[in-house]
Amino acid sequence: MKKSDLDKVKIKQIPAQKRTNPFANVFDEFVGFCRSRSMFMLHYCTGCGAIELPPAMTSRFDMERLGIQPMVSPRQADILLITGYVSIKTLKRVILTYEQMAAPKYVIGICSCTVNGGMYWQSYATAKKLDEYFPVDLYIAGCMPRPEAVIEGLQQLMQKIKANEANSWKQYYKNYDYFLGNQQHLFGNNWQTPTDVIGEAETYQLAGPNTLGEHTKILQSVQTPLKPLEMKL
Amino acid sequence: MRPENYQAVNHPPSHEFELNFGPNHPGIEGNFALKVKLQGDIVVEARTDAGYLHRGFEKLMEDRLWIQNIALVPRICVPDPVPMEVCYSLAVEDLANIEVPERAQWIRVLQLELSRIAAHLFFFGGHAATTGMYTPMYWGVADRDLLLDLFEELTGGRIYSIYNLPGGVRQDVPEGFLQRVSDTLDYIDGRLKDYDNLFFTNQIFVKRARGVGTINQQQALDWSVTGPNLRACGLEFDVRRDDPYLIYPQLDFDIPTEQAGDALARTLVRRLEMVESIRIIRQVIKALPDIKGPLRTPIPNPLAWRVPAGESYARVESSKGEVAYYVVSNGGEKPYRVHIRGPSAMHAVQVLEKLAVGSRLEDIAQTIFSLDACPPEVDR
Ligand code: SF4
Repeated sequence: MKKSDLDKVKIKQIPAQKRTNPFANVFDEFVGFCRSRSMFMLHYCTGCGAIELPPAMTSRFDMERLGIQPMVSPRQADILLITGYVSIKTLKRVILTYEQMAAPKYVIGICSCTVNGGMYWQSYATAKKLDEYFPVDLYIAGCMPRPEAVIEGLQQLMQKIKANEANSWKQYYKNYDYFLGNQQHLFGNNWQTPTDVIGEAETYQLAGPNTLGEHTKILQSVQTPLKPLEMKL
Repeated sequence: MRPENYQAVNHPPSHEFELNFGPNHPGIEGNFALKVKLQGDIVVEARTDAGYLHRGFEKLMEDRLWIQNIALVPRICVPDPVPMEVCYSLAVEDLANIEVPERAQWIRVLQLELSRIAAHLFFFGGHAATTGMYTPMYWGVADRDLLLDLFEELTGGRIYSIYNLPGGVRQDVPEGFLQRVSDTLDYIDGRLKDYDNLFFTNQIFVKRARGVGTINQQQALDWSVTGPNLRACGLEFDVRRDDPYLIYPQLDFDIPTEQAGDALARTLVRRLEMVESIRIIRQVIKALPDIKGPLRTPIPNPLAWRVPAGESYARVESSKGEVAYYVVSNGGEKPYRVHIRGPSAMHAVQVLEKLAVGSRLEDIAQTIFSLDACPPEVDR
């Protein structure tokens, strides 16, 4: 697919689903409440916006009172904060990190640079729109957003999680072909990650009509299946 | 530092393994990576893997008007953005032969020194965290915020001010601002004693930092180390005094040095520099009300400003080291070429690669932080 065709794809929001059993709904609400109150945040300092996070995390603005703490490992983190412009070299790592995180996972794009390229709109080295490569739950615009704005954004995310509306991670499985297409457009057709996204989509029963397509075909043709590493002592 | 009962183990060469240190690692500063080869926990080889923050500044700047570039340059070094603005302005002023009014020069010095204190406070925080002490980090960041409030009042932006421009500064200091600066300095001055107890003379830190990443004077000169890292090796060199710019010759300040050249010395130099910066700002506060005059020399229509052809080189002392701009104009509306000489590119690449060899894995983070390199400026 050409890039112009990819641009026309519209990703629809996934609404909060109500189940028929009223008890199941109460359970869902309870789970959403608990999830929103204890989040680990993996902040990958991708750009200059990272400099406003220490004030937001430490004594003055104190993110911890919202139940949000920094976490060093992507496997245990719930929120991926993208703090600013992502250069193409970084974007590869960000995608690897994103795919390693366990669902449900939430992505926040801080800074104007993640929305539309910001002041590096004509730079040859940065990726312009973050949500072409993986879904984003919330943007906090500004160059750079103040710590108050970061806290406000996190509170909005908490509201969304509580209402079970922060479902962007499901979109990644449902529209994997689109996201993969954009990634291939940037990194070349040899691009592959160690995570088996298609397999995960099938396991979670989230595979939809847009999960597989021509880009996943390219992926499957170039993919070398990962072998378990030999154990040696 | 080694435990007292430490015994070296001789590993067979086959035990060498490679470790990726970063880019997403709590022990690394910003978005930056190292590939280290280890034997046991001793580093035998280190290679930096930079480029995660590359935006192509030097190319972007050729594409924008002289005045638009002011908005771009502070992004080069995020923790200490003011020297970038001032240095670019100085280079362009030199090229266009603009005289900066005296009052603007004093205000620039005020900003530069405030920014230096803020950057040093941030540095202590980060460096303390690498030794497992998190209280100084909380303190440093919280005290730095007081300075950011002052920046916000003066310029409108907490971090990026975009307040200096070729010809002068944008606005005058607000009413009562100098009093508030003075109050904040009193507070920080009073806090330094607490910092000493908590961090600078704390044995937990001192024992960890002594002897880590030692540079001697000759090596420092060979590897083009500048700024506080050079002064920590005992060489008293400071651009503010040895190649003065703005009104620094009229100010009275000392240049603190240390002899050891290790992580501890680098930290202590910065601690002493804060005192000097406070001294400088106090002098500015005293002198500024009596200096009258305009705030900037008007430049012709900024959107079609053609800077005369030629080239210029300006350098200033930032909190990390020497920052310099080499600007070439061919008489057009945009720069023909801008080259940025940043201190961190040297510190984080060539110096770090050499210092890491032979150290232990857990000391790498401390070496990086004690050099106070700033990754966005390495990559640009
Ligand atoms: S929006 Fe501004 S502060 Fe944020 S990453 Fe971009 S340039 Fe930096």
